[in-house]
Amino acid sequence: MLKAAKRISFHICGAGGALALAGCTSAVVVESEFPTPLVEQLPVSIGLVFEPELRDFIHAEALPRSSTWTIDLGDANLAMLRPLFEAMFATTREIEDLSPAAGNAASLDAILSSTLETFQFDVPQTTRDEFVEVWLQYRLQLVDANGLLIVDWPVKGWGKAEVYRDREEAVQRAAIVAMREAGATISTEFTEQTPVQNWLLRRSR
Amino acid sequence: MTLAARTLMLTLLGAPVLVGCSTTARLEPYKQTDAVLQAGDGVVILARRHHSTHEAEQEFVDCISDALASGKEEIVVHDSTEFEDRLYPWFEPTQAPLNLVEFTDLLDMPLVANRIADTGVRFVVWLDGSTDRVASGGNITCAAGIGGAGCMGLAWWEDDSRYDVSIWDIEQGNQSGTIHADVRGRSVMPAIVIPLPFISRPQVKACRGLTEQLEQFLTTPSGYGAGPEIG
Repeated sequence: MLKAAKRISFHICGAGGALALAGCTSAVVVESEFPTPLVEQLPVSIGLVFEPELRDFIHAEALPRSSTWTIDLGDANLAMLRPLFEAMFATTREIEDLSPAAGNAASLDAILSSTLETFQFDVPQTTRDEFVEVWLQYRLQLVDANGLLIVDWPVKGWGKAEVYRDREEAVQRAAIVAMREAGATISTEFTEQTPVQNWLLRRSR
Repeated sequence: MTLAARTLMLTLLGAPVLVGCSTTARLEPYKQTDAVLQAGDGVVILARRHHSTHEAEQEFVDCISDALASGKEEIVVHDSTEFEDRLYPWFEPTQAPLNLVEFTDLLDMPLVANRIADTGVRFVVWLDGSTDRVASGGNITCAAGIGGAGCMGLAWWEDDSRYDVSIWDIEQGNQSGTIHADVRGRSVMPAIVIPLPFISRPQVKACRGLTEQLEQFLTTPSGYGAGPEIG
């Protein structure tokens, strides 16, 4: 829901022209509401692990001849993945880690861990370039109740957004598009993964 | 200022405007079926966003949506963002059907078909294209001194709005037709002391032309002729 996206971004730059360029900072906090996917729900009970790298994800990068960027996706990751998994699986419960020990796996069919392992972005350096682009990659790991790995699945997302007002706002929109794309892939292709199909088949016997 | 100087100035100002500031438009509608909107039917305008180099601007989608909704036919137009959210993830850039085979496959899914039926949308109007700066030139020089400031010169630029519209009929599961729009506008800005912009807005004209075409398209079963003159 791009229109509902709150815009929390700013650009700070010291006075003094080119010499101060190195001191410029662009900060973006990606926040948005994400829609619930319209997919068939799987009749399984899944424990959800949102790794710290996902919950607290902040990308920091100093761009050559530009400014230093910090892009915070932590809250947006949870806002996207929680309703996604709740729609995909009959029952979900958030747990601390992948380990089936300590009662984690009690009453669960499997545990799904999510992390965001790659984030890249490109902002226009000249007025002729009009689009900001964002690439990201989540990694999902599904383990069964005995702790055995069922599938290790990297999921990519790509988004672009035209620069209207400023680059920070465009980065925010492009990141949301990329996250929605990744969510679309997860919700439509999860059951197409062969190991997942085999696991579901074994369960149905 | 003498009469001769005034005449010269008016000539210099007017000539580029008369010669330079212009719009040319071409609209090519092609309707393949007699399907029209019935009572209770609605439409949704969606932008194609799967290209890496361009995409139809959201403001252009909004322009056509708003103009259709407020037109004389009072067509029910659904908000594109709301439609995409309600049908998530099936109309995201990489998931959206690109052809009729994929479209009918999507409509075969009961969850999706029921949700679309709930919205009341009968026609999906896909917008593909963009408005781009295709040429520019000229030069304006400005200077300031103790006695004042001023500019001299002439700048011009040309924008091209090219859009392909595909109208898909959800009820029939086919393509009702297409409309191709190509509107090119040249803007000029002469500067004699002060710059005077004469802006041509091809995107606005493309919006107006496509809206008129779509209005006819969605409400006229037969006798659908060439588009109106715009520009």
